[in-house]
Amino acid sequence: MAMSPRKRARLSRGIQYAVLIVLAVLLVLLSDLGSLQKNFLDVDIMRAMLPDVITTALKNTVLYTACGFTLGLVLGLFLALMRLSSVGPYRWLATAFIEFFRGLPALVVFIALSVGVPIAFPGREVPGDELGIATLALGLIGGAYMAETIRAGIQAVPKGQMEAARSLGMPSSRAMRSIVIPQAFRIVLPPLTNELILLTKDSSLVYLLGYTLSTVELASFGREVLNQEKNFTPLIVISLSYLLITVPLAIVVRRMEARSGRAR
Amino acid sequence: MAEPQMKADVPAIDVNDLHKSFGEIEVLKGIDVHVDNGEVVCVIGPSGSGKSTLLRCVNLLEIPTSGKIFVEGEEITDPDIDVDKIRARIGMVFQSFNLFPHLDVLGNLAIAQQRVKKRSKNEAVDIARKNLAKVGIPEKEDAYPAHLSGGQQQRVAIARALSMDPDMMLFDEPTSALDPELVGDVLAVMKNLAQEGMTMMVVTHEMGFAREVGDKLVFMDDGLIVEEGVPSEVLADPQHERTQSFLSKVL
Repeated sequence: MAMSPRKRARLSRGIQYAVLIVLAVLLVLLSDLGSLQKNFLDVDIMRAMLPDVITTALKNTVLYTACGFTLGLVLGLFLALMRLSSVGPYRWLATAFIEFFRGLPALVVFIALSVGVPIAFPGREVPGDELGIATLALGLIGGAYMAETIRAGIQAVPKGQMEAARSLGMPSSRAMRSIVIPQAFRIVLPPLTNELILLTKDSSLVYLLGYTLSTVELASFGREVLNQEKNFTPLIVISLSYLLITVPLAIVVRRMEARSGRAR
Repeated sequence: MAEPQMKADVPAIDVNDLHKSFGEIEVLKGIDVHVDNGEVVCVIGPSGSGKSTLLRCVNLLEIPTSGKIFVEGEEITDPDIDVDKIRARIGMVFQSFNLFPHLDVLGNLAIAQQRVKKRSKNEAVDIARKNLAKVGIPEKEDAYPAHLSGGQQQRVAIARALSMDPDMMLFDEPTSALDPELVGDVLAVMKNLAQEGMTMMVVTHEMGFAREVGDKLVFMDDGLIVEEGVPSEVLADPQHERTQSFLSKVL
């Protein structure tokens, strides 16, 4: 008894919905909701965390990430241009830097900057305390990743764009700045946002540097409360806080993409 | 002023024994072309004959392997030449338009005026508007290239080149990427330009344009100029066998 393709598609969709519903029901039936609520959704603990988790922890996470990302963006742009340079040593240097910092765990970079630098250069340390180290560490790591993204973006701009700019008399550096790079950034906007989201999470490694009441960021803050209260509610709170950063970010980028889509 | 010589005496473009190789492949095998001031020279020939490469050599988008090119008496193949200065005097129109997609039409026309000619924004916009009117689409100044038809894009590209006040214009198959019904608008703009006395070198497959507007027709094949002369004569009575064979296929 043959079924028409359209009927088969409808049946397949029906099965997919059914699977979803069964899973959801199972999840609810099998879980111990009462204990879940006690261990993960303790309203008193949430309330106790409330002003500080936003005003200090979230603020610091955003601050560390923003500074690190900004440095990484500038660094990434320079590295990308070095990778495209016609001068060999610039290419090699950039490649070495990128491979080194892409391959290294972020954890190691943080430790190297906080512990390694004072040992290597007695009496000196990275300036700016936690913010300085976080910015530098996240900037170095982010820069290495973003360099490859930006390079790919620059190469994705059609060759005719550079030729048109040059044939209007623009020197190549000017053509790069006014014509190629603005277009490249539109292309790499989505992957760069990805990088920003990854850096947001990497910023939690600042806990390695120790923290004070004023420099604590989301992850350390959550861990601190978790240890005090012996309750997992703080994890839920900081997870929601991270989403508070990343979801609006994703929305903004989608808007920007739509807008540049119109101009393309 | 900066250009004291009498331009009329020197040819606008003078190409001497031009060779160009890409790796092992020799694309141009010794080309001599002269374009006088105000002259319209059309270059035709089968694909792969080197006509686009020739055109691209004239504003140094390709660096010649050997031979000399003079633009208004100045040797541009001299390694010490300021390439950007030369290019600002030569307008170039590409087959694929190459408008800047991140800028609107006025931005496309103004950016090089501001950055290269150091014109003020107001001056650049005034000149841009004047040239948009000239190519017949003054109403599109706020549009982005993606919202224009191919014919409109190519006319914007011509206006963009004109906004730099070039002494001459190079056209690299300007209508080859266009839908047939849009070709006429672009050719009309080019014809107007020619009638105003613009020096033009046009690589094209539009034999009608070559016959009507061209002062000289150059037929290239396999990296060499096979035949050249008055367009109507070459098209009606080609002397060389390869020209005859090519024209019998396209006419």
